[in-house]
Amino acid sequence: MYGSQPEIAAELTEYAAKSGLKDYTFVKYEGTDEAQPKKDIQDDKIKGYLRFEGSNAGGVGFPKVVFTGNEDGMSQGLNTYLQSALQNVKTIIVTKNSLSSEQIAALNAPIQMDTLKITSEGKSEAGGTTEKEKMQKAMSYVVVYFLLFLFFSSNMMTGNMIAAEVTSEKSSRIMEILITSVSPLKQMFGKIIGMFLVGITQIAVFGIVILGNLLMPQNIDKLNEYQLSLSDIDTSLLMYGFLFYILGYFLYAVLFAAVGSLVSRTEDLGQAIMPVTMLSLATFYIGIFSMNTPNSMLIKVTSFIPFTAPTAMLVRIGMNAIPVWQIFLSLIILILSIGVFGWLATKIYRTGVLMYGKRPSIKEIRKAMKAYKI
Amino acid sequence: MEPLKLEHVFKQYGEKTAVNKVSLKVGEGEIYGLLGANGAGKTTTMRMVLGLIYPDGGDILYHGKPYHKELTQQMGYLPEERGLYPKVKISDQIIYLARLRGMSYQDADKSLRYWLDRFEVPEYYNKRIEELSKGNQQKMGFIAAIVHKPQILILDEAFSGLDPVNVELLKATVKELRDEGTSILFSTHRMEHVEELCREIAILHRGNTIVQGKIKEIKNRYPREEVILYTSGQINGLESIPGVSSVENVEQGYHIRMDTPEAAQKILHHAMAQGTVERFEIKEPTLNQIFIQEVGESHE
Repeated sequence: MYGSQPEIAAELTEYAAKSGLKDYTFVKYEGTDEAQPKKDIQDDKIKGYLRFEGSNAGGVGFPKVVFTGNEDGMSQGLNTYLQSALQNVKTIIVTKNSLSSEQIAALNAPIQMDTLKITSEGKSEAGGTTEKEKMQKAMSYVVVYFLLFLFFSSNMMTGNMIAAEVTSEKSSRIMEILITSVSPLKQMFGKIIGMFLVGITQIAVFGIVILGNLLMPQNIDKLNEYQLSLSDIDTSLLMYGFLFYILGYFLYAVLFAAVGSLVSRTEDLGQAIMPVTMLSLATFYIGIFSMNTPNSMLIKVTSFIPFTAPTAMLVRIGMNAIPVWQIFLSLIILILSIGVFGWLATKIYRTGVLMYGKRPSIKEIRKAMKAYKI
Repeated sequence: MEPLKLEHVFKQYGEKTAVNKVSLKVGEGEIYGLLGANGAGKTTTMRMVLGLIYPDGGDILYHGKPYHKELTQQMGYLPEERGLYPKVKISDQIIYLARLRGMSYQDADKSLRYWLDRFEVPEYYNKRIEELSKGNQQKMGFIAAIVHKPQILILDEAFSGLDPVNVELLKATVKELRDEGTSILFSTHRMEHVEELCREIAILHRGNTIVQGKIKEIKNRYPREEVILYTSGQINGLESIPGVSSVENVEQGYHIRMDTPEAAQKILHHAMAQGTVERFEIKEPTLNQIFIQEVGESHE
């Protein structure tokens, strides 16, 4: 309905014609009565209509626009299109022919911005200027994103399985027989390594399915459309990602095993593993939310904290060029903490698997832990 | 050198004393009975013997040596509750457990098949624990405990939840293992099993040993207070015999309780004077009575 603003309506129709709008057409409604367009929406004749409120409602020399549509609402594409169309129209209306069409075109043209980086050696390095590097960047983004998800879901799944297995072995008392047959250390790490192989198999299946999908002809075409190619994947990123995945897995696995050993019944397990779950959730979201700001203090700090390092470091490696010594420092911290927490977890495990009844308090655990030599 | 010897073993949980200075010896081919009400410290004692938990004081010696790793191959354990994976095939898990205790696959398989045949359930080889009744699960647990031919066998409430036929079957097996030289530590609160199987017992109550020794000696320590008297006719005046505290009429005769053991002979004379005695028995106290007497008393 353009009745009250014929000028805008005319420009909009013109813009639509110029920009080659395909999926929609503008239809004119005379007058300000909304009964007719509303009925047409119900009859499915039109998708929606625009109403212009007041000639200068926003104080910017342009009326406020209200879109009334059918129950599907406004699609993302239409919204974007109308936004830019109206922006164009607004420029024309506001300037009132005081500018030439070239000047208007110049105003509407998007700003070209390139980023340059000064590395520590003082060289200025073109960041994503060439098409090739841009694509590599995009591919790294995809890879990091994917690895984050894989790390998180695989970790949660296997971790929960470890805890659940330990608890069920405990509640079925088979634990008593197992512990009298093999040492708890062997038993716990046997379980963790076994579960690790399950995790690896899962990842391998995921990987094969994804690769197979990407190699399908129609998908290759799609990738080419976005100018992405598999050869742009940084193999060192994959390697690091995998390394951090493995180490992160072991760190979380020992925690899950320790927590599982403290619970006597499967029903109590969810509550008990909550802190570990929270920790891994935090790790995941720090990674995801920091992908666009790989230089923030948060991610720099968390990339050296063992629990968050697997994702935080991965984001930093993928999204930014970082010194190798930092990667290795993070790896060493991670390995050392696996050692420390592994030792602690074994002690808790040794104690926990034989404690029945209520969940033991921290004091009780500490006291009991002192009694065992592992 | 005894296969298993406990010397003043002591265990504390927080403020509570779970096991207070228990000492016992189990010889080769001997079954030692550990009796006690729930929470008496039987399971704690057994867990200490197994090396699952460490005593806070005292020594546990195996053939004169303290706990060492190789013992896992010589010990068998049947926990009170199942102790097997519910969803794993019986053959898989019992062979697995036997191999953990140092058996080869072939030996473990052979031994498992032997025991399944022995218990007349060879078809369980391919079944899962969850498919079996509780009593049969117990049997499988028993097989898991003995499949590797342990020298020291620890049975925690081995016969609970079994029907009389299976109890007899397991009892016979336990006796057979005993005769082969296995040292068995056996806990229960069913006294009749103990009387039949064990030579020596210890009755625990709240961690303390209240009665200990050979069953015969223990019984001799307690006065014989009950007489069973079956006669053809009626006997009058039993109540008036000095030392008799109560007389109960039953179908074929009398159950008489006495204050003094000497009264028994007087009862016999009295009865013979009046009619034909068909049965006369001075009953020794059952372990059940001793148990109730000891544990019940200290309850108050």
